[in-house]
Amino acid sequence: MSDWTFEELQEWDEKIVKIAKSHGLDWYDISYETIDYHEMIGAMAYHGMPSHFPHWSYGKTFERTHNMYNMGLEGLPYELIINSDPSIAYLMKENPLHLQVLIMAHCVGHSDFFKNNRTFRDTDAVNVTRRFRSARQRIQSYVEDPTIGIDKVEDLIDSCHAIQYQIDRRGRMRKSEKALRADYINRIRSSKDEKYKNFNIDKLPLEPEFDIMLFIVENCKNLENWERDIINIVHEESMYFMPQIRTKVMNEGWASFWHYRISNELDLPDKLHIPFLKSHNQVLRPWGGKINPYHLGFEIFKKIEETKGIEECFFAREVHNDESFIMEHLKEEHARELNLFTYSPKGKKNPDWSIDDVVDEESWPEIRAALIKSIGGNGIPVIYVEEVVKDTLILRHEHDGRDLELSYAENCIKHIAKMWKGPVKLYTLLEDEHFEIS
Amino acid sequence: MSIFREHKTTADRSASDRSRHKKKIEKAIREGITDVVADESIIGHDGKKKIKIPVRGIKEWQFIFGDNEGHKQVGSAPGQDIQKGQVIKKGQQPQPGQGKAGKDKGEEMYEVEITLEELAEYLFESLQLPDLDRKKFKKLLDVKPKKHGTRTQGIRPRLDKKKTAIERIKRLSASRMHGTVEIDPITGAEIFPYHDNDLRYSHIQDRPKEATDAVIFFMMDVSGSMSTNIKYIARSFYFLLYQFLKHKYEHIDIVFIAHTTEAEEVDEERFFKRAASGGTHVSSAPKLALEIINKRYHPSAWNIYAFHCTDGDNWDDDNAAAFDAMKELSNICQMLCYTEISVDSERPSWQSEKTSKLWNNLGKIEGGKLRLAMLSKSQDIWPTFKKLFGGLPDV
Repeated sequence: MSDWTFEELQEWDEKIVKIAKSHGLDWYDISYETIDYHEMIGAMAYHGMPSHFPHWSYGKTFERTHNMYNMGLEGLPYELIINSDPSIAYLMKENPLHLQVLIMAHCVGHSDFFKNNRTFRDTDAVNVTRRFRSARQRIQSYVEDPTIGIDKVEDLIDSCHAIQYQIDRRGRMRKSEKALRADYINRIRSSKDEKYKNFNIDKLPLEPEFDIMLFIVENCKNLENWERDIINIVHEESMYFMPQIRTKVMNEGWASFWHYRISNELDLPDKLHIPFLKSHNQVLRPWGGKINPYHLGFEIFKKIEETKGIEECFFAREVHNDESFIMEHLKEEHARELNLFTYSPKGKKNPDWSIDDVVDEESWPEIRAALIKSIGGNGIPVIYVEEVVKDTLILRHEHDGRDLELSYAENCIKHIAKMWKGPVKLYTLLEDEHFEIS
Repeated sequence: MSIFREHKTTADRSASDRSRHKKKIEKAIREGITDVVADESIIGHDGKKKIKIPVRGIKEWQFIFGDNEGHKQVGSAPGQDIQKGQVIKKGQQPQPGQGKAGKDKGEEMYEVEITLEELAEYLFESLQLPDLDRKKFKKLLDVKPKKHGTRTQGIRPRLDKKKTAIERIKRLSASRMHGTVEIDPITGAEIFPYHDNDLRYSHIQDRPKEATDAVIFFMMDVSGSMSTNIKYIARSFYFLLYQFLKHKYEHIDIVFIAHTTEAEEVDEERFFKRAASGGTHVSSAPKLALEIINKRYHPSAWNIYAFHCTDGDNWDDDNAAAFDAMKELSNICQMLCYTEISVDSERPSWQSEKTSKLWNNLGKIEGGKLRLAMLSKSQDIWPTFKKLFGGLPDV
């Protein structure tokens, strides 16, 4: 079936490693596993984790990917590598040799990014596969527990998934409510500031809480131990994946930057090099109506190298996330070359989507703002816990011009109420009016 | 140096998660069917006709943004000429009566195409025939192999060439759109071989059938007071009954009896389409049914089901006779269901009670083989049906 052997893969890998090292890339060891198409779709459904707890939604993901592929809507799965030490990457047996070479070079870029980018510093790559395995075992034990069972477990995971990205996305150190209270008490005692005079120290939470799952774990009194554990498991998974969401453009850009560069130095024979370029172009082609993170990231890194040198590229891959990366390194002139534009639906009377702005001096800040809203996890609404009044959990949506999708928000609120085991209210704006969902 | 190894899998990892997802979809199909059963388009089709039922995808809820003007999307089109104000995506006009615009965003609808037979299977899976006289009948369970859809795996002789070709064409046309079809550099022809995933095999399933035969009496009041609306409800109800019994029995005879003050055996078309006129003697229909049973359908050989639909507007002088005839008929049937259809908005003002005298009298002897049912809108059909055959509480 395949047009390559393990020996060939090893040969090319040796060359790739040598070139990558000569450029100063520093990555976790990579363990490549060859799998067939069916296993690949399976691995993708579980985010590549060798061990992951079961949930029906992963079955749905599997079916969807499988269908999309069968209908020709999606190309062959391209690459899958996880942020672990050693990094586990999958090579699909059906892929031809040129694609395997491209993927291996690409994976080196990803692994280097995982290891060096600041956003990932708390992901504990050494232990991640162990943590996922332990989570699966615990969840399996709840499934098998006759007093709990699969239905209750899946229902709770459904609820957790509804708010899985409602965690702090800035990577700030989070203080527990207890520590925060101690802080405030100190401040009130020592400060003469007016604002502390009538300060309500009993308010819960004292500061807006962006991590809804942890807030529930810490403050809901009626949770059973298994429930608390499951919420913690999903929370931990979200914390693990959030850095990847926040750096999608950079991460894919960096990996593409390096697979391209490495391949140019590999001296590929023509019969590999031509299909290689074809695949490369397919991956990096702009998508028109949507930003292709591979394309955007690749272009920005290329531009940094051209204008400021490769050292600056390495520096950027270490300190930035997508948001700061674009703020710092995407300039108006370059955006004009990329022909960025914004578009939106024009209200009820004319629901067509038309172009609002193309890049020029005046519009660039706005286009950049819209771009930033769409990347680095900013495509997910920010909801925070404002207060608990009596037993009601009061949430607020940080409105930034984009309305919530109402039916989704309503269902999420139902899920949160199930977890909180009490009433929940969400305040937002809808068509510029105050709106309350409960 | 990296490590290379063959991935070790012992089992199809996502199999159980897939089957749980499938169960959720099947549940959604069953729930979606209730809206479908009263749909005009399916009534009157034979079992082979395919119908499409919309099934909601199983959602994973999360907070997401809607489409409003403040929600600007960003695109990138290097090398292309684009201008401010250029329309790049057609919107959908909000449909009247659809509620808030955009409320159904991302509604994943699966259109499941199934035959009436399969629909019946989903529908009737949980339902049982009223089988009070089971012991009297010697029932032989016939097993009959039947083609039942296609599968992706199977033995060569059962390869369904047509379906397989269709799968390939589907993939081809989708791939063309995405420009992923390989072109032969010499001839310029498309290279697009069959893929393992295209193969479709007929699936053969043994299906048990009850060997005994059944006869159904559909009796309907066609008097002047029966409005089109009421007749439509009756017709939908009968259609469902017919499908259900057909699903359970190999052979079914159907006898249509239309009545005003007198009953008459008619064919299907006349039964449903006959213009309504005249007064009402409910008793005439069960009397005629009894006659026909005596002549053609001996109760020891036939399972007899009888259904009667009326608006309940029986003439007073007939109530006693109707009661007796119904009672007599119910004694030899597996089930006799007396159904009153009463559309609230159409009920005459002098009729303050929702139910008729006949209903009230029959109500006293209800149970066992005699059942009463009340329908006032087409949405009632399925719950009533479930109540009749499922022994479930009213939904």
